[in-house]
Amino acid sequence: MGFDIDRYTATSVSVHWDDLDLEDFRRHPLPPDSLRTLRYMADVEYHTVCYTRDLLTTPSHREADVSAFMTMWNREEFWHGEALAAVLAMHDVTVDYDVLKANRLKLGWKDRLDPIKQSVMGSLVGADFVAVHMSWGAANEWSAITAYQRMAELEEHPVLAELLRRIAKQEARHVAFYTSQARERLAASSKARKITRFALSRFWAPVGSSINTAADVRHVMTHLMSGPDGRRAARKVDDSISGMPGLGGLTIVQDALDELGIPA
Amino acid sequence: MARSWSTDSDGPAGFDVREFARTARGSMRDHLDLSSLAEGPLPTEVHDALAVLAVLEAATMPHLRNVLVTHTHKDARVTAFLVTWAFEKYWIADALRAIVDAGTGPSGAPAASAAARAGTAGKAGDRGSSGTASGGRGPVRRALAGLTQGWDVVGAHLALGLVDDLVLRAAYTRVLACSSDAAVHASIERILAVKERHSRFFDEEVRRRLSASGRAARLARRELRRTTWPLGSGAITVAERSAFTQFTFGVAHGRALEDLRGDLAALPGIDVRTVASVLRGLAG
Ligand SMILES: [Fe+2]
Ligand SMILES: [Fe+2]
Repeated sequence: MGFDIDRYTATSVSVHWDDLDLEDFRRHPLPPDSLRTLRYMADVEYHTVCYTRDLLTTPSHREADVSAFMTMWNREEFWHGEALAAVLAMHDVTVDYDVLKANRLKLGWKDRLDPIKQSVMGSLVGADFVAVHMSWGAANEWSAITAYQRMAELEEHPVLAELLRRIAKQEARHVAFYTSQARERLAASSKARKITRFALSRFWAPVGSSINTAADVRHVMTHLMSGPDGRRAARKVDDSISGMPGLGGLTIVQDALDELGIPA
Repeated sequence: MARSWSTDSDGPAGFDVREFARTARGSMRDHLDLSSLAEGPLPTEVHDALAVLAVLEAATMPHLRNVLVTHTHKDARVTAFLVTWAFEKYWIADALRAIVDAGTGPSGAPAASAAARAGTAGKAGDRGSSGTASGGRGPVRRALAGLTQGWDVVGAHLALGLVDDLVLRAAYTRVLACSSDAAVHASIERILAVKERHSRFFDEEVRRRLSASGRAARLARRELRRTTWPLGSGAITVAERSAFTQFTFGVAHGRALEDLRGDLAALPGIDVRTVASVLRGLAG
């Protein structure tokens, strides 16, 4: 079944939390380890618009549906950042634009060269590369849902759980868009399947890897994805990814955890 | 909660981006009363101009791509603005399509309405395969150039936004002058009200950044000269673009071009040659 882009744009809203009692975090604050994870998540959300830049360096921006989705998606993710920043603010952790900018500055050459690399690859393989982007996006959105669900389970904090549930609900719509795009493109082209399989197994890394330190990545993955429950969640994401045409057998999330040395 | 908003150039930033994001305006469909349009179709030139405006307003993603491959993506305040700006423009385009659809006579759509819906092929801004809003430089070259341009390029990119905003504003002004329809007037006034905050942000940022840095002004002059105006020209055909600029700036229509000349000349660091180059591209 296709993704109804008009319905999506018409119902896209910024996640709201006015009705949630954030003051509850003053009485029941989150532990420092959880705040560090939340901080990472906020950074990733705010950074989404920069990923758009990578996606757009390929022919994908030429398609009206993709443009419409990107517009709403960027804004929803920005507000996920704002929502998480509001929680962090209750713990006197400030994430303002200057802090974000300082973080983006630390990225240096790797980040600057990404769009060049992507675009060169994109123009080499043309329209089939859009399948890579869409599959990549699907993997990231599935990861995001899983991360928020794991966070909610681990913290057992009712206000946080509700906020994360609202965010994850929007992530689920992002999954729906990316998978509908990816499935169609993968099904249509064996070249797309081959390139996507190659790119995901070769280059995929947990969301946020390119914008955070290795220590932060390891902290977040250990916090959310270690132990039997964490592994089970990782397997679920892998099952979803490998359920797409031509991607059977891929275990990119579990592989990434192994590579980072996250205890199972 | 208290937040600081310092920027890269001297002087305080007045525009509250966070407030702008919080109060972003979405779909206008419920507020548009287009019933009067059912009585008679829009004049062809107004219809076509609105159809092209719908495409131009929606063409935010190629522009975002172009500016985000450079240092601009690191300025979190600017990216937060652009996210909301793209959102509001999406719904402006949607409103314009609603007007165009309602104002299309029973005999069917005049020339440009197909373009309002269509994707891409063979567009005015295309030079070679890159087809970017800013004429011919693909993302790789932009990203490479961006490596050495640093923060000053942000001011140049905002100058592009400012000039584009002025050009589209001139077109809306012409639409108001050419149409007596009450529904068209009310709708365009509503659209202009949404765009007012975009204009204010661009204006404020460009003035501050270009007067604080000679290099920012130099980059802005270069970007302004090499751009195909308006920014979304990559999404319309050559014929649509020339009809659009003729409609907006044709000599018979009075002062539009001279007003634009005045606005451009008043920007810090923008010289006569750059102004002339922009106007040449629009005069047709
Ligand atoms: Fe998100
Ligand atoms: Fe998402």
